Amino acid sequence: MSDQHEHHSGEEGWADKKSFRNAFLGVLVVASILAAVAGFVPAWRKEHPHFPAEEFGVFFAVWGFAAFMFIVLAGQHLRKLVGRKEDYYEERE
Amino acid sequence: MTAFFEALLANPAVILTVGAFVIFFLPRHLACAWCLLVTAFSAIKLYTLGLGEYGALHVFGEQLTTVRVDPLSRIFAVVFHIAIVLNVIYAWGQRDKAQNFAMLAYPAACLGGVLAGDLITLFFWWEMAAITSVFLVWAPGTRVTYLAGMRYLAIQILSGVLLLGGVALTYRETGSFAFDMMGLRDADGAVKISALVMFLAFGIKSAFPLLHNWVQDAYPKSTLTGAIILSIFTTKLAVYSLARAFPGTNELIYIGVVMTLFPIFFALIENDLRKVLCYSINNQVGFMVCAIGLGTINGAAGYAFGNIIFEGLLFMALGAAMHRTGTSKATELGGLYKTMPVTMALCIVGALSISAFPGTLGFVTKGLIIDGAGEAHLFWVWLGLLFASAGVLEHAGIKIPYFTFFAHDSGQRPKDAPLPMMIAMGIAAALCLGLGIYPDPLYALLPDQAAIADYHPYTAYHLIEQLQLLLWAVLAFAILILVKWYPAEVPSTNLDTDWFYRVPGRALMSWAAGASRATWIALWGIFSGRVQALMARVYSVHGPEGEMARSWPIGFMALWTAILLALVLVISFIA
Repeated sequence: MSDQHEHHSGEEGWADKKSFRNAFLGVLVVASILAAVAGFVPAWRKEHPHFPAEEFGVFFAVWGFAAFMFIVLAGQHLRKLVGRKEDYYEERE
Repeated sequence: MTAFFEALLANPAVILTVGAFVIFFLPRHLACAWCLLVTAFSAIKLYTLGLGEYGALHVFGEQLTTVRVDPLSRIFAVVFHIAIVLNVIYAWGQRDKAQNFAMLAYPAACLGGVLAGDLITLFFWWEMAAITSVFLVWAPGTRVTYLAGMRYLAIQILSGVLLLGGVALTYRETGSFAFDMMGLRDADGAVKISALVMFLAFGIKSAFPLLHNWVQDAYPKSTLTGAIILSIFTTKLAVYSLARAFPGTNELIYIGVVMTLFPIFFALIENDLRKVLCYSINNQVGFMVCAIGLGTINGAAGYAFGNIIFEGLLFMALGAAMHRTGTSKATELGGLYKTMPVTMALCIVGALSISAFPGTLGFVTKGLIIDGAGEAHLFWVWLGLLFASAGVLEHAGIKIPYFTFFAHDSGQRPKDAPLPMMIAMGIAAALCLGLGIYPDPLYALLPDQAAIADYHPYTAYHLIEQLQLLLWAVLAFAILILVKWYPAEVPSTNLDTDWFYRVPGRALMSWAAGASRATWIALWGIFSGRVQALMARVYSVHGPEGEMARSWPIGFMALWTAILLALVLVISFIA
């Protein structure tokens, strides 16, 4: 299925450039802060929140950050439990 | 007989099925064009039918409704047609007749199931879906795919057998084959066995937790186009069936939440990106199942519609990368953005959409489900769904595009995707953005129009809530990459529930086969030994050398006669 194509490694593309990475990170940080600050603007708050947690202006930011961190940092240990050699089933079938 | 043919002609699924069989008689280069033409006929038929019940059949004194178009079945039927068109365009030029046949026949079966107005019709199409889809798993033609196909078929048929059992039990209880709301419990709150059996049948096909692993086992082993088609239909038919029969069933809320959560962790450590997307199917179907449990049928149907488009787009983008590089392993991909910029951009649209960024199809559909949990005041469910949303961002929103197109440079410089693939992905991306920005046409298709009238996705609160959740999760990813805490991909096989039937289950089956063979040999040995001993005894008595076959001399006979006469005389004298 794969086509013939050349192999090159080490060529720097636009996404590999430090300037792009810094700019991306800068935009991300600014946007994240703006979203967090927007959570405290009274006119933009939910009129009838379903849960007390929603009244905390940065609840979703905290929960999103914590959830992602937990998934990655805790989840990677699952590999120790269920990870096997790539040909694990081929050897047995 | 006339009524039978009228019922057939009224059914768009029959049009597609007949069209699928015609493929075997067409020149190979015309197959895809034919598929598009037949799909257009089917769509026109669906449109001209309008809402209502059609194709009534009388079988054994019972009336069957082979076609029911109502708001719930209509939205699934519409998106199934869109998906068929996308698949056909994506696979344009595909010459394999078996795959081209399955590309129409399998969606046709799922469409037939969605349009079924009774349980008998549903069962027929349910089994057709199992049989036609396995050709896609077998398509690569290797021993590995043959075994995976057999396991897949066994599980799908088990689901069908359970469905048939449920149909029989339901008929015994109600005297009807109607496929409507049945609920899991009776008026007294006791679980109905008939409904439970049916629930399990639907649960297997929608890949409930612990019943889920047939998806990861079978789908990634299919061909490029096969995996995309498979990813769309079976689980959505099951979602539709649950929405039809079990809306508002409390158990589904918690089953759905578990479905959204556990695949996140398996997807994180999975190296094969097609398997990552299969875990994503489990996760996404979990959102729909939870919505059905909450009674938010708009959420389930709307998200199913959206998911078919954006999950399909991710499968297509990954398939394009695989088409060019021959691999879907994260460890062997990376850096493809340099020469596949269009595929990369379209993949990112799919990734943004599945993550539910504002302006995408995911945002305007997932919000219905999260809001449903909020309105039900189920805090932990709501929190779990938000957690799962961060998980979706991790494995489908970031991992797929990041490891395919960025991450480490694999050194591969393939051409961008072929034109048909780009067109299919382009249409899917346009739908993701178009319906994301202007969702009214989609909302007009939702089953509960009264509920959707009050829903406005683009409120300041919704936007802030979603942007906070997603942007801060992306920030977490950036930090993890910067401090190098994000786990590197490792070539491995990760055990899941299929291990139970592939290793100990297989060993148990081998042991059972060996034990039954040994028992048979032993029993046969005992039996044949006894028979041989008996035959030897009979032979010794009746054989040529046997006592009974011996010839007696006349003198010997006269002597014995004299002895007997003497004995008689002596006895007579004594008496």
